[in-house]
Amino acid sequence: MYRHLLLAAVLAATAIAQQSSPSARRSPEQIFEFLDKDKNGTLSEAEFGVLKDKMPTLQARPDGVSAKFKELDKDHNGVLTLEEFRPVMTQGSRRPAATPAPAAPGTPAPSATPSTPPPTRRRPTASPAPAATPKPAPPAAANQPAPTDGIAFFEKNIRPVLADKCYQCHAADAEKIKGGLVLDTREGIRRGGENGPAVVPGNLKASLLIEAIHYDNKDSAMPPKKAGGKLSDEVIRDFEKWVQMGAPDPREGTAKLAAKQDTSKAAKDWWAWQPPKKAPVPQVKDAAWPKSDIDRLLLAPLEAKGLKPVADAEKLTLLRRVFFDLTGLPPSTRDADAFMKDSSPDAFSKVVDRLLASPQFGEKWGRHWLDVARYAESTGKDINLAYPDAWRYRDYVIAAFNKDKPYNQFLREQLAGDLLPAGNDKQRAEQLVATGFLALGTKSVNQANARQFALDLADEQIDTVSQAFLGVTAACARCHDHKFDPIPQKDYYALAGIFLSTDTHYGTFFAAQNRSATELIELPRGAGAPVLPRVLTPQERGQKQAELDKLLKETNEMAEATFKPAAGANRNPKGQLALLFRMNQIGLLESELGSFGSDGKMRPLAMGVLDQPAHLKEGRTRGRSTPSYENSTPDQAIASRFLERDGRFARPPEFRVVNESPVFERGDVTKPGGKVPRGFLSVLTHQPPPAIPASSSGRRELADWMLADSNPLTARVMVNRVWQWMFGQGLVTSPDNFGTTGSLPSNQALLDTLAVKFREGGWSVKKLVREIALSRAYQLSSTFDETNFAADPENALVWRMSKRRLDAESIRDAALAISGQLDLRPPLGSPVAERGNGPIGQFKQFPGAGVPEDVLVESGARTNARSVYLPIAREMLPDALAVFDFAEPGFVTGNRETTNVPSQALFLLNSPFIATAAQKLGERLTAANSGAASLDQRVQLAYWLVLCRAPSETERQTALNFFANFPSGTSAGDVRPVSTAALAPTTAAWTSFCRVLLASADFRFLN
Amino acid sequence: MFSRRELLKSLSSGFGYLAFAGLAARAAAAANPTVPDGPLAPKAPHFAPRAKRVIFLCMRGGPSHVDTFDYKPKLTAKTGTPGIRAGTKLLGSKWNFAQHGQSGLSISELFPNVANHADDLCLLRSMQTDLPAHPQAFLQLHTGSFQFVRPSLGAWTLYGLGTENENLPGFVTLTPPAASGGAQNYGSSFLPAIYQGTRLGADNRPIAGAEIRNLASLVKPQTQRAELDLLQAMNHETLRRERSRPEVEGVIESFELAFRMQKEMPQVMDLSQESEATKSLYGLDNAATADFGRKCLLARRFAEVGVRFVEISHGDWDQHFNLTTALGANCRSVDQPIAGLLADLKQRGMLKDTLVIWGGEFGRTPHAQGGDGRDHNNKAFTMWMAGGGVKGGFAHGLTDDYGYEAVENKVHVHDLHATILHLLGLDHERLTYRYAGREFRLTDVHGNVVKEIMA
Repeated sequence: MYRHLLLAAVLAATAIAQQSSPSARRSPEQIFEFLDKDKNGTLSEAEFGVLKDKMPTLQARPDGVSAKFKELDKDHNGVLTLEEFRPVMTQGSRRPAATPAPAAPGTPAPSATPSTPPPTRRRPTASPAPAATPKPAPPAAANQPAPTDGIAFFEKNIRPVLADKCYQCHAADAEKIKGGLVLDTREGIRRGGENGPAVVPGNLKASLLIEAIHYDNKDSAMPPKKAGGKLSDEVIRDFEKWVQMGAPDPREGTAKLAAKQDTSKAAKDWWAWQPPKKAPVPQVKDAAWPKSDIDRLLLAPLEAKGLKPVADAEKLTLLRRVFFDLTGLPPSTRDADAFMKDSSPDAFSKVVDRLLASPQFGEKWGRHWLDVARYAESTGKDINLAYPDAWRYRDYVIAAFNKDKPYNQFLREQLAGDLLPAGNDKQRAEQLVATGFLALGTKSVNQANARQFALDLADEQIDTVSQAFLGVTAACARCHDHKFDPIPQKDYYALAGIFLSTDTHYGTFFAAQNRSATELIELPRGAGAPVLPRVLTPQERGQKQAELDKLLKETNEMAEATFKPAAGANRNPKGQLALLFRMNQIGLLESELGSFGSDGKMRPLAMGVLDQPAHLKEGRTRGRSTPSYENSTPDQAIASRFLERDGRFARPPEFRVVNESPVFERGDVTKPGGKVPRGFLSVLTHQPPPAIPASSSGRRELADWMLADSNPLTARVMVNRVWQWMFGQGLVTSPDNFGTTGSLPSNQALLDTLAVKFREGGWSVKKLVREIALSRAYQLSSTFDETNFAADPENALVWRMSKRRLDAESIRDAALAISGQLDLRPPLGSPVAERGNGPIGQFKQFPGAGVPEDVLVESGARTNARSVYLPIAREMLPDALAVFDFAEPGFVTGNRETTNVPSQALFLLNSPFIATAAQKLGERLTAANSGAASLDQRVQLAYWLVLCRAPSETERQTALNFFANFPSGTSAGDVRPVSTAALAPTTAAWTSFCRVLLASADFRFLN
Repeated sequence: MFSRRELLKSLSSGFGYLAFAGLAARAAAAANPTVPDGPLAPKAPHFAPRAKRVIFLCMRGGPSHVDTFDYKPKLTAKTGTPGIRAGTKLLGSKWNFAQHGQSGLSISELFPNVANHADDLCLLRSMQTDLPAHPQAFLQLHTGSFQFVRPSLGAWTLYGLGTENENLPGFVTLTPPAASGGAQNYGSSFLPAIYQGTRLGADNRPIAGAEIRNLASLVKPQTQRAELDLLQAMNHETLRRERSRPEVEGVIESFELAFRMQKEMPQVMDLSQESEATKSLYGLDNAATADFGRKCLLARRFAEVGVRFVEISHGDWDQHFNLTTALGANCRSVDQPIAGLLADLKQRGMLKDTLVIWGGEFGRTPHAQGGDGRDHNNKAFTMWMAGGGVKGGFAHGLTDDYGYEAVENKVHVHDLHATILHLLGLDHERLTYRYAGREFRLTDVHGNVVKEIMA
C-alpha cells in the first residue's frame, strides 16, 4: 500500500508535467525542474509539497508530505537534489502484480473476487500447429534502435492504440496493474507479464499480445469490453506488421514494474546486512570537549557541519534525568542535597553506579524489554483468556537486567533456555521461564483449523523474534518473498520449521471457545520457585474432584447420547447449550485442580517452550470414531468437541514432531508445497551457519547464529535500543526495523563501534549504559539553539539532549514516590495470577471465573507497587498507564507513541489516583516534620519534591497568590471526596496546589 | 525527542490552524517545520463524500436474516423438510412479510416501524463473512481481520477524516461488548491512540448513567478554575523561559480541550432538553424500547455536534433457541428507536449526509436448531444502510431460495468496509498507514466498492 503512495507520486508528477505540456510524459528531470520554482537546483519541502495537491494520498496522512520528503532527503540537509528526488519516479514502479495479492493466511478469499480473467495467458500447449513455426526474428531488431520509419510507424499506428486501450490497466501509473504487465515502455512490453513476453520482435506466435488482440482465446482476449472490445481488423494487422518489423519502439526507461532482481540487488547492498566494523576514532577540532570515544564519534559529524554542541546540563537537571532514565523514579531531596554538595570529579559517576546497582534499575529497564517482548498476561484476540503465570517471565526479565545478565545469554535463554545445560534446578527453572518469551504472544484460541493455529503461532513467534532481536520484519515473507528486503519466502519457512518443531506451552484451559489449551511447564522442585500462598485442603480437593467426576459422567452421557441411533437428528438445543456450559465448568475445574500439587500447595507452573519429540508419538485421541464435523448434526458436532477434546483439535501430526516445514503457497495452509530445510535468513548469513540436528528444533542453533560475530544485526539492534532508552531516540529511529523500509542510522560509525564493543566486551548492558551516561553527550543540556536547530531539527546528530516526556510508568511511580506512597517491595505474582485460569472480564458462561474489569483497569489506583507490576491484560490495560501511551502489547513495540490527548489532562485533573497523590503530598508538605514551616518554605519544598528545583521568583509569587486567592468557603472543595473525610480548607488548597504541580508540563517533561 | 511526526500526534497547534492554501503559507511551512494542524482536525477526503458521518447500529450475535429482511417464501413452504446439513429440517419464518413503501421492499412484521422507512433503506441481502463463529466474525466486521490486531473501522474513519468537533471524541462507541475482541473492536492498534474509540457504558448495562472515565471533576467548578489558572500560568511561564517548546503548547491546549470536553460532553449526553415528542419518537416512554431509544437519541446528538463515527451495540441476537420469543423481543426493543432515529435525522436534514448502518456479524441458518432456533450462518446475511448517499428502497444481492448462501452480487465484509469508506469520500486502497515497514489498510488486499448502491 506504500507503493500506492509512490505510485501516486508518479501519477501526480506526471499530471503536473502534463500541465505544461499535456501530450508528453515527462522525465524525472523535467518534473524536478517544474517543481523547482526558484530554480536553485534543489527542492525545498514547500516546492516538493506542491505534489500534495495532486496527490490525495499524501494528504491521507497528516504528515504525508513531510514523511515522504524526509525519507527522500537522504543526507538530511533539508532539500532534495535531483538524485534524491529521482527515486520517487523509479520506486513508483515497485508495484505488485495485479494478481489478487495473497489472502491473509487462512482467510478464505472473499467471495467477491474480481471475475475479470487475467489479461494474458500462455496459449494452450496442446494446440501448436506445426505449420505455425515462427519466422526467425531479424537478429538486429530486438535490441538495436529500429530504423526511423519503423519508429514513425509505431508512433502513428501503435502508440496511440496502446495509450488509448491498454495503459489504463497496463502502465506504471495504472490504478491497478493487471497481470503484472506494463506496456508503456519498450522494456515492459518485451518482458511482458506473468505469462511471458507480450511482444517478441519478429515472432507473432510468441507474442502474447498478438494472441490477445485476436480474441481467439476468451480468457486472454484484450482489450476488454469496457475499453471497447476487440480492435478493428485493420489495427490488428498494424500490430502484426509492427511485430514483424521487429517491434521498433523508442520508449526509453526501465519498465515501471521493475524486475525482482533489480530491487533485490540494491536491497542486498543495504547497510544493515553488512557486519558492523569499529570505526577509527575521528580527529576532532575541539579536543577538550569529548570525554570518551562516544563523544568524539558524535562531535566529528557536528564539526563537519559547522555545529557545536550546546552547554552542559545543570547539575540538578542532570540528576533528575539520570534518575528517571536509570530507575524511572525521581531523586529524593536527600539525593539532590548530596549530589549538590559533592564536588568531587567522580560525583556523577558515583550516582550512576549507585543507580545501576539499585533494584529499581531492573524494574525500569526490564519494562523496556517487556515492550519489545509484547509482554501481557492474556491471549488477547477473539477470546481473551488469562495467562495466570506470565508474571514469572516479567520477574525473570527484571532480574536479568538487575544482575546484568550478558545479553547473549539473555537472548539464548529466551530462545532456547529449555535446550541449554543447567548446573542445578534453579538455573534450569530460570532458563525455562525465559522461554516464556516465545509463549506469551497473542493467540486466537478459538481457531477451529488446527493447522492454521499451528502456523499462526509460529508466525507470531517469527514476527516477534525477528523484530525483537534482529530488527527485521521476516513475517512479511509468509505469503510471498519480502517485498522490500531480500528475505525470500523459503527463508521464512526455514525459520517456520524451527518454530513448528517447538511445542509451545501457554496454558489456558479447555472451554467451549478454546480449542487450543495446552499444559504449562512444571518447574523443577529444587528450584524453589515462588508460588502464590494458596492451599487446597484434601477435603476441598475431594469435593471438587467429586464435582468434576459427576460433571464428566453426566456430560459424557449427554454427549454419547447424541450418537445413539434413537437420539434423533436434532435434540433439544438447550441440551447443546448445557453441553457448552458444562465444557467450560469442566475445563475450569480441571485447571483449578491441576494448579495444586498433591501437597495442597500451588504447583510452580510456567509458560515456555520445549522441543517436539524427534519421532512422532502415538496420536492422543481417545480412539473414538465419530462422524466428521461436516457430516454430523449440530449437537453431534458439539458432542465431538467434548469427547475428543484431547485429540481432535490437537496439533496436526506433522507439527507434533521435529520436522521441516513446507512452503505454503501464498501462506495458504491448504496449499503446502515443497519442504525447506530448517535454517536462517540468508541475507544475514555471512559465514557457514550452525548445522541444525535432525533431532531438535534448531532454536539453540538459531540463537548461536544470531550471536555469531558475523551476524550484522543482533548487537546493533540491542545497542540501538539502549541508546534510544537513554536518549529517547535511537541512532536508527526505527528500532524494530533495520530493513530497507526502516530509517538509515544517523551515525553509523558510532552505532557500529558501540555494537562491536558491546559484543567484544561481553554483551554487558550495564557497562553500555554506564558508558553512555558518563559521555559528555548524555550530560548536555536540552537548550534550544537556533543555528543547530535549523541544521538538524530532529537532533539526529545529538547537539543537545532531546527533551522527553516521562513514560506512563514514571509518571505514576513518581506521583507515588513524591507523595510518599510508593511501595518498593515487589509484589508476588499479579492480580491476573490470583484469579487463575479464566477469561479477562467476567461472563455468565464462566461462572465464578475471570478477572473483573475494575481489578485490571483501576489497578493503578489500587496498589502502591511500582507500575511494572500492574496487571497487563490485553485489551484491558490499567487506565493509569493506558492514557499515557503505554505500549500496545499486541506486538513488538520498540518505540512508544508520545501523545498529548485530552484524556491525559482529564486523568490529571479528575482521576482519584492523582487526587489521592495530591492530597498525600499536601499532607506531607504541611506535616509538622516536613521541615518547612511557612507557606513560602512549603511552596519551595513542593517544587523541590515534584520538579527537583527551586521555584523562580515569578513562580513563587504565582503560588503565593494562588493560596491567597484560593476560593474561600470551599471547605472541602471536593464535590466527590476521594476519602470519606472532608478536607479542611487548608488541606483542600494544598491538594489543589499539588494537583497542579503534578499536572504541570514541567513535571511531565525531562530536560 | 519530539520529532515532527510526534508533534503531529499531539494536539499542539503551535502554528496550527494556519491556512496552508497559498504559496506564502507553504513558504512559511518550509521555514518553520511545524505542523499544519492537529491530527483530529477535519481532513479533506480523497473525493467528494456522500456521507459525512456514520451511525452504526451493531446487532451483536447474528440477527436472523430470513426472519427480518430477506423474504424466503419457499423456505416457509418447505418447513419441516430436510435441510442441507445432515439431520436438519428447514424452518420457515414464523413472521409474515409484506411489501412496503413505493419501492415495495419486503420486510417482516418484526420491524413494523422500520418498515415505514422502506423507501430510505438500502438492503444488502448478500452479505458474507469468513467464519461462522462470533468472536472472529465480530472482529472481522470491526477491523477486517480476526487473525491480527488491526485498527477498527471507526479509527480508520477518524484517521482519514478527522473530526468536526475537537471538544469531543471523534469516535464514540456505546455499550460495546467486552467479549469477541473487546476493545479491539474500537481500538486504534498501530494507528495513533488519538484515533481510538471512546467507550461509553458497557455491554448489557443500561446506557443511562454511563460516564466517560475521569470526565467528572472531583472539585467544585470555582476550585477547578483556580487550579487551571495556576496550571496554565505555570505552563506559560515554562514556555516563556524556554524557547521552542511546541510540546508544552500541546500540553496547554490539551487542558483547554479537556476542560471544554468536560463541559460539552455532559451537555451532549443530557437528554433533558429534548422534547417529549422527540423522546417518544425514540421510544423513551416505553420500558421495552427506552434503553436502545436513549442510545439512538444520543447517537443523533453526537452526530449533530460533529462526532464522526458513532457505534451503538445491541445484543444478544444469538437465537439458537427461543427464536420466537427472543427475536421478537429484540426486534421490539430496537424497531421504534431505529425508526425514530431515521425520522429524526430526516426531519433535521441530516439523513442525507449521515450513513446509518444496521446489522450484525453474520446471519442464521434456514434450518432449525431444535424446534425454535437457528444456527450461525456466515454465507448469507442482511445488513442495511440508510441515508449517506445510498439508494433508498433498494435491495442489493440475492440469497438462494432458502437463505443458505448469497448467490448474486455477494458483498463480503471487506467490500462493506470499502463501500463505507467510499461513501465517506475515502479510497480504501489509498487510506493507508505505515507500520512495521509497510503500508496497511482496512481492507488489507481485499475489498470492492459496491457501486450499485450509490444514489
